[in-house]
Parts: sequence; C-alpha cells; structure tokens
Amino acid sequence: MPAIRHASKRKPPPEGFSDIEDDLLIFSNQMKDAQNMPTDNIPKHQAQWPIFQISHKRSRYIYELYYEKEAISKQLYDWLLKNNYADAMLIAKWKKQGYEKLCCLRCVQTKETNFNSTCICRVPKAQLKEGQDIQCVSCGCRGCASSD
Amino acid sequence: MQPPKHYIVISLSSRKPHTCLSPLPAGWTEHKAPTGHTYYYNASTGVSTYTRPLDAVTSFMQHQAVPAINLSDPNVANAFMAQYNAPPPAAAQHNQRHDQGPRRPPPQPKDKPKSKVPIPGHEPWLLVYTKYGRRFAYNPVKNASYWRIPEKLLPAVVEIDKARILEKSKPTGANEGDKVLPKKESDKAEVGAQRRPAASAEPTPAQPDDDKGYDSSEYEEVEVTDDEGEDGDHDEEGHARKRQRTDEPDQPAEEAPVEFTEADIAAQLAAMEADYAQDDEYMDEEDDETPQLSELDARALFKDLLDDFGINPYSPWEKLIEEGKVFSDARYTVLTSTRARKEVWEEWCRERIAQLKELRAKQEKQDPRIPYMAFLAEKATPKLYWPEFRRKYRQEPIMRDSKLTDKDREKWYREHISRLKLPQSTLKADLRKLLESVGLQELNNQTRMERLPGKLLGDVRWISLDAKTRDPIVEAYIQSLRGPPEDGEQTGEEEEGAKKAREEKERRERALRERERAVAEEKRQKEKQLAYGRAQLREEERELERAMQVGKRGLQSQLDAGRGERPNDR
Repeated sequence: MPAIRHASKRKPPPEGFSDIEDDLLIFSNQMKDAQNMPTDNIPKHQAQWPIFQISHKRSRYIYELYYEKEAISKQLYDWLLKNNYADAMLIAKWKKQGYEKLCCLRCVQTKETNFNSTCICRVPKAQLKEGQDIQCVSCGCRGCASSD
Repeated sequence: MQPPKHYIVISLSSRKPHTCLSPLPAGWTEHKAPTGHTYYYNASTGVSTYTRPLDAVTSFMQHQAVPAINLSDPNVANAFMAQYNAPPPAAAQHNQRHDQGPRRPPPQPKDKPKSKVPIPGHEPWLLVYTKYGRRFAYNPVKNASYWRIPEKLLPAVVEIDKARILEKSKPTGANEGDKVLPKKESDKAEVGAQRRPAASAEPTPAQPDDDKGYDSSEYEEVEVTDDEGEDGDHDEEGHARKRQRTDEPDQPAEEAPVEFTEADIAAQLAAMEADYAQDDEYMDEEDDETPQLSELDARALFKDLLDDFGINPYSPWEKLIEEGKVFSDARYTVLTSTRARKEVWEEWCRERIAQLKELRAKQEKQDPRIPYMAFLAEKATPKLYWPEFRRKYRQEPIMRDSKLTDKDREKWYREHISRLKLPQSTLKADLRKLLESVGLQELNNQTRMERLPGKLLGDVRWISLDAKTRDPIVEAYIQSLRGPPEDGEQTGEEEEGAKKAREEKERRERALRERERAVAEEKRQKEKQLAYGRAQLREEERELERAMQVGKRGLQSQLDAGRGERPNDR
C-alpha cells in the first residue's frame, strides 16, 4: 500500500482515480482483514495465502482495467504501480505467453525449490493425475496454467 | 436398439432446488455455489452437477414440484419468460421427460416402444412410435436411432403421416373416443415443443454415427412438433395426429408387440437418464446456445440487465458475483454459462466506459472552486473552526474533491469566515471592486444572472454578501454596463499582443526607411564625388588642350602669355 502522507503534501492522483477509488478501498479493507486475521490454528505455510490472493486479485483488477477494459489512462496506471496498488513484476509476467494466469512470482521461481522446478500449480490440469486436487504451498493456488 | 440421447439445455433458473427433495444417492453431497445456486458433488467420482443426482428409479419422479419463478422485473422479462412458462403439464408431458427444470411438467415413469412402421423406400429404417406418442427413426442394421428424423427419410415419413391422417379421418378406429381435444392444449404442446433446444442435442460417445442425423435441424422434434414435422403446412392434420397420440398412453403397451423387446428400450431410456447426471459437467458449455433467443438477443438482454442494475463498469467481476443483486432477475439466466456471462460483462464494461469517457469529454470543465464556494456560502458559519467544519462535512464530495487541495480549502474557509465579520459597506465595496475587475467581454449588459462568469462565482468576495443583498447590486451594475464589445475589437490581452505587434512592425518600417535614406544619401554623395571627379578631369583635359594649341605665333605667343601672366614678376 502507498505510504500515507499528510494531505497538504499529497499531490492529487491523476484523472480517473475517483472511478476506481471505491473498489480499491474494498481491496485494501480485505487486505487489512487478512493481515489482522489470527494465524494460530492454521498451518504455518498457509498463513500468507490470503495475502497473496488478495494482492493477486488487486493486481489483476488494475491489469484488466488498463489492458483489457482500457478504462484508465497511462498516467493513472503508472501512478497506481508507483503507489504499490498493483505488483508491476507480476503484471510483467502476465504479458508473457504461458504466464497469462500466473498466481504469484514465487511459483515460477525455480531456484527456490529442491529440484529446480516450478510450483505444482503451474502444471496443466491435463497432465495431472485424474482427480488430483492440488493447492500450491506458496499461495494456495489451485492451478494457474494458461491452458486450464 | 438405442433411443438417441437427448441433451436438454437447462437454464440456471430451472435449477432451483425443488421443494420436495428425494434423498441424494450415496456418495453425493450438496453444496452452495458462490452464485447462490445449489450444486452436488460426488467426491468419489469427482463429478459436480447443478442437477440433483437421483437413482434411476426416482429420477423420473423428481419433477413434481414446480415452483413459480419470481421475476424481479416482470415487465422487461415477460416477453422472454412467456416462452418459458407457456406449456402446461398435461399436453407437454410426453416430450418433456428429460427436462430437469422445475417448470417442466412431471414426466411419466417409463416410455416404451409401442409400434413400428417400416419406412417405404428406405428399407432397413423403421419409424418407431413409443407409448407416449413420440417417435424416432431406427436403423436395425446399423443399430442407430435418432429422435430427429434424418433428412433423407423425411419425405417418406411425411408420406406415412399423410396416409395415416387420411386413414384416421374415416371414423372407424377405436381411437376416436376423445377426438375433441381442446385446441388450447395442442397449442401448448406446440409451444412446449419449441422450447426444446434445436441445436443442443449432441452425439454421445456411444453413438458416433449420430452426427449425420442431427444435421437437419428442424426435424429433430418431429415426434412432438407436428407443424414442424409436416413442414408446418397442414395444421388440421397436426391436430388429428395429436388427437391420436394423446390417447395412446391410455392403451396398454402390450397391445402392440414389437420385435425388439421393450426391456431393451426401457433399459436404454434409463441409461439415458442416468447419463444426465454425469453429463451435467458439460452442460455449462452446451448451455451457451439458448434455445429460444438468438445469441445477439441474449447478449443484449444481459447487457440491459447490467444497465438496469446500475452496475459500475469499473468494478471487478467478483464484486458483481459477490453482491448477487442480479441473480434474482430472470435475464441473468438468459446466458446460461458463467463464462458467457463474463464475456458479455467484459464487453459491456468496455462499451460503457467508452461512453462515459465521451460524455465527460463533452461536459465543460467546471472550475472546482465554484461548487466549493457555493458550499461555503451555504454551510460555513463563524461558529465552526476549520477543523470542526472539515470533520463535520468530510463525507461531502466537494470536501473530498481531489482537484482542490486541503490547504486552499482551509484558506478560503478562513477568509470567508473572517469576511463575514466585516461591515456590509466594506463587503459591498469589495463586491463592486470584484465586479469592476471582470472585463467587458465576460460581463456586460447582456449577461444573464444565471450565467455569470466563473471568475465571479469562484471568488470569496462573491459569497461574502448573501444572495438577497448581492443580487440587486449585481443586477444594477450589469444594467449600467455597455453592451458586449464588437467582434472586431479584441479583449485586453489580445489587444495588448496586437498593439505590441503593431509597434514592432512600425519600428521595423521606420528602421527600413532610415536605412533607405542612408543608402540614398550615400549614393548621392558618391554621385557627387563622381561628378566632381569628372569635372576635374575635364578641366585638366581642357588645360592640356589649351596647352597643346600652339598657334603660328608659336613661341611668341607663349611668351606673351607668360609675360602677360606674370606682369608683376619683373
């Protein structure tokens, strides 16, 4: 989230921000809730799943606004990226073929895994065993291959 | 012998849970989808379906409950829903057996082949009539059967029908009992038949050679849609056949023994039913084709729905689903798969946003100060300090407008409050000053009070006086002004610019003239010099000439001249 500055020192956001302000507020509230959720009785690796998921959703929202709906201007898009409303690195991946639905950057970080492989959620459904239900360790993704 | 599979498009609206539910078969569990619809999941097979899975025995009985659909917007949706709601159970039940919808009539437990007629001209083919008056084409050689009469058989089938109708018209048969069937009922049957999806039938893996049969689209429902089956040409014939068919169920099935066993057919019908549960997975994809509405209409209807509910085109799809406002509307089910809906929603969003952008571009840009000043004039009071005022009205859109900074807002508020304490005469004088500062171009005797320039309205001095005392002053001032300046006359800044340009031009011309004069002077001097030089030259020449003119007196004259020249030398 963007750093909160005093109103007198804040530059107004670019034109069109008021249109998406409410939806962004919903996302930030969700994020706050997820952050404040107690993690006592859930497995340790699952504690950050909601955070990843909400951040993914918000990035996706902004990505779609700019690239698919063409609803926001370049200035506003840049401003949003600069103010950390969306993950620019993740969006950069979405523009690449084969990564259109990528859930998070950790899932394609092969160096962090034991066998230098991507996450299980990157495996297309067709190649998984019949009826195999997966949820990836890093963000709880159930499959983000482009072919799914 | 296999009766063909018949996939029915089931709209979401028809998937509402039934009021009297039979228990789920073992292995199935009931869940609520995020859209609010109930679905069923079989953990062992991994199959999920919207339709309630049932045992083969009970599956036919499940449609007893027919809850009425509650249309949230009946006026808009009526036209569409009329097509859905028309068929009553009595007439339509013969052909609706596979339909799982709650508005569908209760199906009969079993359908059985009743009689068969060889189709003349196409020898292996048989036309099989079932107990309920449905019929299908059957090829015993290939062991293929089609509800939809294949195209090549159609003429022959039409011939058979004609022959039969002629036969019926002679009052001899035992089936004449209830000849007077209410017309209404037959109409309804027709509507019911139309409701059947024309294109939704798909060949199943078990019957790979079904494909060719389904190419003839209209004849799929020959066994129910009389008019369609007969090229829609003999209406009365259709009725005649209907009469015959409707009384068929009354007869015991054993009356017409057929060579392929009933058990055979019955087993296959049951198998068809059982398959539905498994095939429901694919229904969403099949559902893309709405039976009654063209694709375009369906999309337009869905877009209307989005319009009517005031959906924010900037919001994400998940928000629309989570809010769930639109689910109650009948138009939501016009598109039957969520994927199709999302696609249309995306398209609608793009259109709507483009529209909004255009609208905004057209709207003139208003100075944000004007509404803020109006707001101050209305709400500001000396009783509130700025922080109090801001806290009190923080929800107002003008207080959150990002075009104004809080600093400015505060400044104007304080100024306004302090001015409210000044005497009226000062305020009037200030107003006068303000009015005078506005140029004649913007404010003249033709300016109307409703269209005062923004320069006035956005000024603190304007709101210091209340409207009752201010307006007469302003009106009087406007009356005293001259008319608007002529088009040729320019406004202050323009005039200044033009004046500058003119001066510049003059200066340049003057410089040019001076330069010309200087050049001319120079030229004249040169000429003068030249002339002088020539004159001198001529003088010298003349002197020389004179010197050269030595007369007869020769030296004497020279000497004389010399003497004469210097008489004083001696």
